[in-house]
Amino acid sequence: MIAYFIRRLVGTIPVILMISLLVFLLLHAAPGDPAEMLAGDQASEADILEARARWGLDQPVLVQYWRFLINALSFDFGRSFRYDESVMGLIAERFPASLELAIFATLLAIAIGVPLGVWAGSKPNSWVDHVGSIGGFFGISMPNFWLGIMLVLLLAGSLNILPSSGRHTFGVPDDPITGFLLIDSILGLNWESFKDAMIYLIMPAFVLGINMTGILMRVTRSSMLETLSEDFIMTARAKGLDERSVIWRHGFRNALILVITVVGLEFGALLSGSIIVETIFSWPGIGNLLLQGLTARDYPLITGVVIVYTSLFVVVNLIVDICYAAADPRIRLAK
Amino acid sequence: MPQPIRESALPNNLPEDLKPLAWLRKPDWPALHKKFRPWLQFKVIAGGGTLTLFVLLAVLATFVSPFDPNRQDLMMAMTEPQYFSGPHFLGTDHVGRDILSRCIHGARVSLVIALSVVVISGAVGVFLGVVSGYFGKTTDFCIQKLVEVMWAFPPLLLAIAVLAFLGQGLAILIMALTLQRWIPFCRVNRANALTLKEREFVVAARSLGATHTRIIMKHLLPNLMQSALVIGTFAMASAIIAEAALSFLGLGVPPSTPTWGGMLADGRTYISTSWWMALFPGMCIFVTVLAINMLGDALRDILDPKLKRSGAR
Amino acid sequence: MAKNSAARRKTFLAALATAALTAGIGEAVAQTKTRVSIGVTETIASHNLYADSVSLMYAVFCQSYGCMFDRDYAAGIYVSRIVDKWEVKDPTTWVFNLKRGVKRSNGEEVTAADILHSINRAKNDAQSRQKHNVRYIASAEAPDPYTVVMKTTEPLATLLDFLRQLIITSKAQHDALGENADREAPLGFGPYRIRQLSVDNFVALEKVAGHNEVKPENPDEVIFRIQKEAESRVTALLNGEIQIAQFIPPQLVGRVEAAKNVKLVWEGSTEIMFLAMSPKQKPWDKKEARQALAYAIDRDAIIKAILRGQAERLDGPIGPGQYAYDPNLAPKYTYDPKKARELLAKAGYPDGVEIDFYTPVARYIADKQIAEAMLPMLEASGFKVTLKTPEWGTLWSNVQKGGVPFYYMGRGTVIDPSAALSQYFETGGSPRIGYSNPEVDKLLQAERQEFNEPKRIELLRQSMALITDEAPAHFMWRHKLAWGIAQNVDYKPLATTDILAVDIKMIPRQRAR
Repeated sequence: MIAYFIRRLVGTIPVILMISLLVFLLLHAAPGDPAEMLAGDQASEADILEARARWGLDQPVLVQYWRFLINALSFDFGRSFRYDESVMGLIAERFPASLELAIFATLLAIAIGVPLGVWAGSKPNSWVDHVGSIGGFFGISMPNFWLGIMLVLLLAGSLNILPSSGRHTFGVPDDPITGFLLIDSILGLNWESFKDAMIYLIMPAFVLGINMTGILMRVTRSSMLETLSEDFIMTARAKGLDERSVIWRHGFRNALILVITVVGLEFGALLSGSIIVETIFSWPGIGNLLLQGLTARDYPLITGVVIVYTSLFVVVNLIVDICYAAADPRIRLAK
Repeated sequence: MPQPIRESALPNNLPEDLKPLAWLRKPDWPALHKKFRPWLQFKVIAGGGTLTLFVLLAVLATFVSPFDPNRQDLMMAMTEPQYFSGPHFLGTDHVGRDILSRCIHGARVSLVIALSVVVISGAVGVFLGVVSGYFGKTTDFCIQKLVEVMWAFPPLLLAIAVLAFLGQGLAILIMALTLQRWIPFCRVNRANALTLKEREFVVAARSLGATHTRIIMKHLLPNLMQSALVIGTFAMASAIIAEAALSFLGLGVPPSTPTWGGMLADGRTYISTSWWMALFPGMCIFVTVLAINMLGDALRDILDPKLKRSGAR
Repeated sequence: MAKNSAARRKTFLAALATAALTAGIGEAVAQTKTRVSIGVTETIASHNLYADSVSLMYAVFCQSYGCMFDRDYAAGIYVSRIVDKWEVKDPTTWVFNLKRGVKRSNGEEVTAADILHSINRAKNDAQSRQKHNVRYIASAEAPDPYTVVMKTTEPLATLLDFLRQLIITSKAQHDALGENADREAPLGFGPYRIRQLSVDNFVALEKVAGHNEVKPENPDEVIFRIQKEAESRVTALLNGEIQIAQFIPPQLVGRVEAAKNVKLVWEGSTEIMFLAMSPKQKPWDKKEARQALAYAIDRDAIIKAILRGQAERLDGPIGPGQYAYDPNLAPKYTYDPKKARELLAKAGYPDGVEIDFYTPVARYIADKQIAEAMLPMLEASGFKVTLKTPEWGTLWSNVQKGGVPFYYMGRGTVIDPSAALSQYFETGGSPRIGYSNPEVDKLLQAERQEFNEPKRIELLRQSMALITDEAPAHFMWRHKLAWGIAQNVDYKPLATTDILAVDIKMIPRQRAR
């Protein structure tokens, strides 16, 4: 198990290296130069040249990449051109917000999508199934930025039950411990701050998770349909097991593996979708910074964030594989 | 019970022109029904019908749309939907362009984008997948590393970077959307090719001296088309949504080309005052994606029940 | 950081023990403090004061750390909190006498050494984006702690306009803390101090108790929150999450007007919006073609339909209120498609000409919509236009290289137009337009070196008339900006869009019967 884990982790290193090189080349091939972008509206030619030299942009690309690699070995992605702070520091400050949003969105998607799917799948062609199916398709087909603005107007505007944007009321959270507001407030036993974090989190998380919710609903439903028609279910029913146990103990367990697959597959899309959701909700996460960084051609920041995103995606997939083994003893990890 | 007359059962000496007529007069309803039954379900009819309608609209855009999609009338800007009481059935946008006409023309671009993305990524993905699975060894290793790297890249981010850096344009947008969409094709087809190449008919063909190209073209590809079709429908739906998302970030196609995504992004600015600007293109996207998804869902059930398990949506 | 985590652990334990108690106290304190949150659209780039050059942050740093000069836009004069009086010894030598007893919140006095230190940082800080502010300062000396003598590289009548944005930081703090001074010791002599700053997220200011500029009705805390999405900015204003919303776009004005708990306040802007035509590229090398374009655009129609009246048309580079404005400036470009076609024919394009038109998206108010509305007007006058909307990074980089032939853009905070005119129209000012005309150069140089005010105004007017006639740029309008303000807050926005917390007053809630 541990050997497998380590082997997988080591296997991701070349992937991350390749991606960093790809990003690096892509950035340097792009029109626009960070020195021009950042020297200010009224900077002179000399100012720009000087900035270029200071950031080492006058060196050949591969030399720059080599330097970057050497530093990256000690988890130092350099200093952001735009924010004049270490990229690692910025990521450490902002990434918890993004991660909290992404994880909560995933949990919300599972919490809504899976039970709906189970319910619809256990009663095929009932009204629940039809309504659920339409809802599922609705979730899959919904561009999340559109839903986001609609919900802001409805829930924050007309109904005024949720805040329109941001992550917390100013001054409410105590000293951050982990950076995850929900966890912090639980650790601090601070109900007020938990409630506060929750009301800010719920809308962006729902919007971010809408596509995954739809997919999970559809997948769970069809898996339920398939499983419930199999022989062992008949046997279970014939044995007199009550319907609830049949559905949850047998049907759902089979759907679980699919749920895990979908979460693993869709997490990448969800993570990058957070760029848009963070913009709409002024969510102080890394996606927001990334967009600014792209415009400013902030090479270190972009590279650093992409590497973190990628690593996270790889780690999630690793977790997914481990979950497989946990959910289905027939799957062995060491292949 | 009288036997229904089948074409093949007719005597050969009948006059030629009677054959089809006979078939027409007495169609074999039960047999036909049996053959096409899987297709006669709500999802296929609704999904296929809607799609056909949109494709027709797109093809005939110049004839059916009431206005030139780029014709402006500043004085008529932001007219509410007039339905049958005025010239602008679905109202006008911020510079007075007819929303209905733009929706119809937008279908053209949006569907072209979606179709090209699917065709290109399908071709690339299926090809690489088959090659990877069939040849194995170093080829497989290289292709699978490429898959791994591309797949780990945050999807929207890659598209944003490509568009931000290479500039705007239909071709670049299609390229940006293709960059990662070939991967599911590649993965599934590699797996299929791996099993297929051990099957008797392939082994037989090989022992008869068939070239690799011939085996791939004649024996492998036809067997992989069904799963590719299913993945394709879902890739198409996601391409339409992705185009809208990129337009939202200001990275879509140039503004003079009407697309649903572009209209939606425009409409977002006016969402609380001129709801129709965002609603109708939004509905177009939603209905189309819904139709494609339904069709894809049905295709999967009919063609390839196995795919359900692999989690490809 | 290590110190912090220990403290955090302690807080955590304390919180465990007395969770309910602390929560109660926290609430009580929060209620007595007044707070105004402001939804803004600009960016917050850095803790480093010199690494930012947007007007929002100039204003934030100016009212916390303190700055050398400020422009009273309404009165048309420069004012300063630290400079008592100044004189021009000779055309390249300026002497500033500092006020005595100006103290930072830690009691440290502001002296000439701090001014020299600040000039040095603006000039030499590795991250500085404010070099242009001190570009003309050849040397600065402090003969005594309350006198600064500056020598300029050339005679420069507009020095104060450059010094306006010089943020004053403490030399002593920088000597002690080095690079971290800005982050760890946000000390200044302004009426507010920075409590917390989170890049591209928010900056929180708190009132300095006992400062002579603050009044009891000024809010105790002012928070600038970045909210780019206009709909959510307005929504936040309407349900009380923020008290002031910057830049209500034209289409949302109605929504704010209809609400009872907020009011709408209008203020002009000092940002000039223009269309630049680079004479280095065809057809813009012909003056007639440039003028044809100016006649081809119906600005009033665009202001009415797209901007809903929220802009003032510009005749010439600047408008009323800006320095050296000339109401009689000629020529004036009216909407005249017929004349436009004639001029275009004269320029050698009787059958029209193909052009590319570049505009940023969502950078300026309704930028893309305006560009779209211009298309049929241009087509009608013989310009066959392809509209291009590249991503801002690409566009801006190309503009700065002079590679964009025709684009829509704005130049912010134009009070004295000298710097802006030189930047865009003087040979060697910047490659953005690539216009070069010895006559304009001569006028602009003479104007900068003229210390006699009426004469200088005359020179500026001449140069602006010449530029308008030559039309390397067609000046469009200045936006009229709508601000949404909660009913319990009193605030009069400035044309410069700087937001000063001392201008914000809380209106005490009327007591219930």
